[in-house]
Amino acid sequence: MRGPLGSYCRRFGRLTRSGGLKWPERPCGGPAVHTCRAPALPPASITVLEAVALWRKHFEERGVTEPEHSSHSIMAHLLGAKTIESLEREKLTQFLSRETAEQLWELCTKRLSRMPVQYVIEEWDFRDLTLKMRPPVFIPRPETEELVELVLTDLQMKPGSGMGAEAQCTCLEVGCGSGAISLSLLKSLPWLRTVALDQSQDAVDLTRENAFSLGLQDRLHIHHIDVLKDADSVVSLCSPVSVLVSNPPYLFSEDMTSLDPEILWFEDHVALDGGEDGLRVIKQILTLAPQILANHGRVYLEVDPRHPPLIQQWVEARVEELRYIQTQHDITGRPRFCILQKEK
Amino acid sequence: MSLLLPLISRVCSVSRRVTWRGCDCVCPVLRPPPAGLPCVLAAGKRSLPELPVLNEDELEEQFVRGSGPGGQATNKTSNCVVLRHIPTGIVVKCHQTRSVDINRKRARDIMREKLDIAYKGENSEILTRRKESVQKKQEKRRKANDNLERKRLLKEVLADSKSGSDVV
Repeated sequence: MRGPLGSYCRRFGRLTRSGGLKWPERPCGGPAVHTCRAPALPPASITVLEAVALWRKHFEERGVTEPEHSSHSIMAHLLGAKTIESLEREKLTQFLSRETAEQLWELCTKRLSRMPVQYVIEEWDFRDLTLKMRPPVFIPRPETEELVELVLTDLQMKPGSGMGAEAQCTCLEVGCGSGAISLSLLKSLPWLRTVALDQSQDAVDLTRENAFSLGLQDRLHIHHIDVLKDADSVVSLCSPVSVLVSNPPYLFSEDMTSLDPEILWFEDHVALDGGEDGLRVIKQILTLAPQILANHGRVYLEVDPRHPPLIQQWVEARVEELRYIQTQHDITGRPRFCILQKEK
Repeated sequence: MSLLLPLISRVCSVSRRVTWRGCDCVCPVLRPPPAGLPCVLAAGKRSLPELPVLNEDELEEQFVRGSGPGGQATNKTSNCVVLRHIPTGIVVKCHQTRSVDINRKRARDIMREKLDIAYKGENSEILTRRKESVQKKQEKRRKANDNLERKRLLKEVLADSKSGSDVV
């Protein structure tokens, strides 16, 4: 049965129950052949620093990526902090209670199975928001924080921003995942309204939960729609929007197999795989854009570094009403964002 | 204990100008001034009244994201941002939060304070405020000591008069 992990589920044999939200409680995940025994809790009390160092060693020995950072993040979270750097010095030399030690062992054992830290602690930060995280819903990447910055820059400079213009300003997000982009925009712009879509029910549910946690549910409408299968519903959803924003699946299918286990074994492949050239969902979004956008409305996309020239060529040939405005680079200097505008 | 991850890094020159928009974080909007002029902001928030404005063209930013394509293909939680001011060589590292965006903004705030010290030396905002605070404490101590001395003298005078000796 085709579950949230798409066509890879049979190969790797690990899936949530169909449509289920809970991750199976197993210490080991993935098709690992070796036995994966959780390290035993030490009999004597240990300090925070000792526990962190011990788990860093366990992670290193098992080849878990970011051994030190993983250990720090999980420990900090259990002690009520976001980062270990923000803990008071004295706390680091305190002994862990039995209960906290057991919780630490439980969470770190999950990390041993290569579960991403964000799923282990069930939350992560995106710009100034803390969002709930849950497999297999796609975890926001740092690059996407810059996508939000680009949209905000333009929206805050909108000419004629007065009551009239602002009241009509709506944004559409395709592929909302955990809700990071939409919720970030809504938090920063009190006058904005947003419609968000995702093909995954898990993502729709998680976005809704995050919206309620942040008190933004009144300005966000969320729909379970697949933009590839149900274009008509998308177009009829909302009156012309000023902004269409998306971090759509943009990986090339052939690159999926070389992904780290954190991604391959735990995140929704449908949220990642953009087809042979990585452009399947992007092309659909751009095809529909003129019908969704108000005149002079803009599309903001996060893409693979190889995409921008391909997208520009394709749009010039195939989408008459869309003009390619510019390519923006991310913090590592890679071409990462495409901005287009509807020109009737 | 080293809290910085020794991953492969790509040092990239950030040649584009970035205008930071306010979210709920501390820093005000920074607009790059005409090239080469570290001008002074008008007095605004108490926290950052007269610090130099940053010129993005003079900054080199480094964020460890690995040698792969990044983006959706990578899920790393490390978010340390390293900012270098090319003309002075001053380097700021920031991994205070779990958001790269906020770490970048904070790194710039810290850079502004460091540049202020570098440019103005003794007269920089931070050093001036520190000096003022130290002076206030010294003044307080001096007054307290004066009071104690006065009380001591008074006691002496009273003690002398009781014993009947002539007081001049």
